[in-house]
Amino acid sequence: MGLSKKEISILIEIIFSIVFVFIFLPYFYENQEINLILMDDLIGKIIEILIFTIIYFSIAYSVLEVVYKKKENKDERDDMINSKSYKLGYLLYEFSLFIFIGYVCSKFQNKELLNLTGNQELYNNFQLTDGGIVFFVLVLLAFISIIKSLYQFYLHRTV
Amino acid sequence: MILKNNLKEIRQKNRFTQEELGTDVGVSRQTIISIERYRYKPTLELAMKLAQKLNIKIEKLFYFEQE
Repeated sequence: MGLSKKEISILIEIIFSIVFVFIFLPYFYENQEINLILMDDLIGKIIEILIFTIIYFSIAYSVLEVVYKKKENKDERDDMINSKSYKLGYLLYEFSLFIFIGYVCSKFQNKELLNLTGNQELYNNFQLTDGGIVFFVLVLLAFISIIKSLYQFYLHRTV
Repeated sequence: MILKNNLKEIRQKNRFTQEELGTDVGVSRQTIISIERYRYKPTLELAMKLAQKLNIKIEKLFYFEQE
């Protein structure tokens, strides 16, 4: 299966998203119950993510440039593929945002109901922390990014 | 109706490779392959450029075929 330079660069993005999910998301998953200010070494983790991202893309694209020396310019077919895949990403993003707003509203509603019934234990279980929101948003972004890139790759192979 | 084309035959008749033709009209080899396989419908601008490069009328290069 011969892959073009553009297809390889899409695969690089997909691999980055998957690596991000497996390496960095567990940290946010473990801390989703607490607020950001209480997270253990949050700034360190953000710096770690930034450094990893810069190093990963620098190495990946440098290797790509060495292997595929010929410069590939964007043309109208690439624009068409990009517009289709980004449209799918945007629709997924809108849909996810709608789900997220519903999730937040239901959390607050449940919290109020539990508060009224006076069940303190259940009330505490329905806390919505900013750590939880950050985790949820990161999961959505990673998921949307992977789906968008996979669709982009599929279009490059089939159109 | 399906939009088809004679790009492959005319390109070969004019002794152009997919790479050369693509470079001359400003698109990638993959785009030429996609057009030849009827997977991608080019814009009017690209169709005109291809016709001009291959010295052929656009309606001879692209045509409609009944399904």
